[in-house]
Amino acid sequence: MGGLTPNKMLSILALGAMVGLLLLPIVVSMPALAGGGGTPAAGGPPPDVAKKADTPEAAKVEKARDVYYKTEGIVTGAPAPKTADNPQFYPRYNFESRVLLWIANQQHLYYGSFVLAVPIFCMIIEFMGIVSKDKAMAKKYDQLAYDFIKISLTAYSLTAILGGILIFTFLTLYPAFFGYLSSIFRPVMHIYALLFVAESGTIYIYYYGWDRMKEGLLKWIHVSMSVVLNVIGTTLMFLANSWIGFMMSPAGVDEQGRFLGNIWHSIHTALWNPLNVHRLLGNMAFGGGVVAAYAAYRFLASKTDEERAHYDWMGYIAMAIGVAFLIPLPFAGYWLMREVYAYRQQMGITLMGGLLAWLFIIQATMIGILFLSSNYYLWQAMGRMRGAEKYQRYIKYMVFVLVCGFLIFITPHTIVMTPAELKAMGGQQHPVLGNYGVMSAKNGGINVIITTTVLSFIWYQRGNKVPMVSWAKFGNIFMGCFFALAYVNIIWLAIYGYYIPANVRVGLSVPQVATTLSCLFFMTALNLVMLKGAKQSGAIEWGKISVRSQYALIMLATAFTWMMGLMGYIRSSVRLFWHVNEIMRDNSPWAYTHTTGFAANMISFNVLFFWLTILFVFFLATLGVKKAPAEAKVSVPGRVPEPATGH
Amino acid sequence: MEIVTSPNFWTAMLVLGVVLLVGVSFKTKALLNNVYVAVTISLLIAVAYFHLVDHYLMDMQGLDYWYLFRK
Repeated sequence: MGGLTPNKMLSILALGAMVGLLLLPIVVSMPALAGGGGTPAAGGPPPDVAKKADTPEAAKVEKARDVYYKTEGIVTGAPAPKTADNPQFYPRYNFESRVLLWIANQQHLYYGSFVLAVPIFCMIIEFMGIVSKDKAMAKKYDQLAYDFIKISLTAYSLTAILGGILIFTFLTLYPAFFGYLSSIFRPVMHIYALLFVAESGTIYIYYYGWDRMKEGLLKWIHVSMSVVLNVIGTTLMFLANSWIGFMMSPAGVDEQGRFLGNIWHSIHTALWNPLNVHRLLGNMAFGGGVVAAYAAYRFLASKTDEERAHYDWMGYIAMAIGVAFLIPLPFAGYWLMREVYAYRQQMGITLMGGLLAWLFIIQATMIGILFLSSNYYLWQAMGRMRGAEKYQRYIKYMVFVLVCGFLIFITPHTIVMTPAELKAMGGQQHPVLGNYGVMSAKNGGINVIITTTVLSFIWYQRGNKVPMVSWAKFGNIFMGCFFALAYVNIIWLAIYGYYIPANVRVGLSVPQVATTLSCLFFMTALNLVMLKGAKQSGAIEWGKISVRSQYALIMLATAFTWMMGLMGYIRSSVRLFWHVNEIMRDNSPWAYTHTTGFAANMISFNVLFFWLTILFVFFLATLGVKKAPAEAKVSVPGRVPEPATGH
Repeated sequence: MEIVTSPNFWTAMLVLGVVLLVGVSFKTKALLNNVYVAVTISLLIAVAYFHLVDHYLMDMQGLDYWYLFRK
């Protein structure tokens, strides 16, 4: 280890400072939290309410009941403002304010998701580099993590700018609502701002200290910084989630929206935890998709085989991380929906069986596209491995299974029709296809798709390898039987659902999911054990992959972006004409649900805008490459680099 | 039918499959790699496992997986 050099001292001090910065918001907010957040900030728009505080009656201790927790608390806040359609509550330009807010919010969210996800990748990849025994691979991983954080850094500045734009949009167009929300979350908003400062400091030290902290203890300190960075980032996201959770399922306030002094109740609402899990997984999948698209862009623009090899590898790693988080994402979505139904059944029906149901058909289509693109990329990627040809003949069967699952998954229960069409079809539901538009069949469809994706991944892992363990034949047969019976079980449960009452049927989704996850965990583990000491039939020829595969990566990223925009819109729209569900009514002229067509156009605009700006970020990252220190660039050994261990 | 709807039956099947697997693999690897033996053991384990997954995960939700079979 040696003595403490100035470099080590500085690094330890920097790490200590980061941890201190991380704890600072908690220390600062201690009195506020202990006091239950104190009285809400002045500046909230309801003048009628503000007067109350001066009256003698207000000085008395008034108690009220929490709308969600049903506990009694001392009223410490003003009621939610009762707004009216006038410029006092809703100042406006000659344009729909909601659309402006929609754009500002969505863009901030895209960039926020990206900059929260990428440091998590960096942490994982940098750690893989540290523990890798192969020095060449360790350098490659390190360079990859550095490339990732470089893209993230430019995006980070844009995220901050968009955050500023979002706050100004709220303040100028929805002052009453924003005043009320900030009055509830005042102590947390301070923590949020301080955490943002802590995150900024950490990310800059992490990035600029890369070269100085590349060996020994310093490297461990550096990777520890990435852990601190991610703790701050995730806490930031959880805090932001508490605001949208409060808007959907308010808690910590009484029926009039008066704050009852317990900030934890307002944060820990009914939907907070499912939202946290769903967003964390979603961000990771989205971040993976964007980085994979960046790698695809660089691959397509590459002029040398060496560059192509590097960006092919980078795209593969990013895609693998993205898909690893995409697989559990639908299950987190199910949990969120289940909690929505548990919180307010009507809200669940509006989402999945009523006004917004058709958006879920679009969502199903997007999910199907994501999985089809991932599978297509994996099949194309087998082309860079000698020995993977043996799986090519089975791909057509996998396409058939995937398409069957996809078609069932996207089949709607009912269709919007003219009276003549209704009469011709003989009812609201199609006599044959109508049978597939129910959850029992749809759950079967998506689980078949995910199980097939797991199978594709296992085949990819085995592409250029032949298991040499003494029980290899048994292992292959066991794996085949397990997958076959998993398909049988998923389809059986889907069919079984038609023959049992709805209250029993609803529980079948759990064993279906467990079946899929069993394949994911057990079969991947079995495969890894079987591939220990496997004979390689040829090296992975990085860079020797079809151009089509790179377009699949871009498709994957675009589909992620579009789906994020769609799901954000659905989640927000489900409040209908409420700013804060059942507490603060939206009386603006735009308190109605847009048509599906308009919403789709808006989402497409947001996606296009994001991709145009992120292309600029990519361009800036390419400028940085020329300035990178020579030793930081790791050459890819020949056209055929060493394969990643255990890819 | 009562036997088939009992989780004990499927647990016994799973245990039997695992015991067979361990027994055969201790005896000779050639026997384990025999197609018929491998398929039999694999099916026994996988069928029993998925039945137990279905049964217990429904049971945990307070639901009866064997609803139709008991009617």
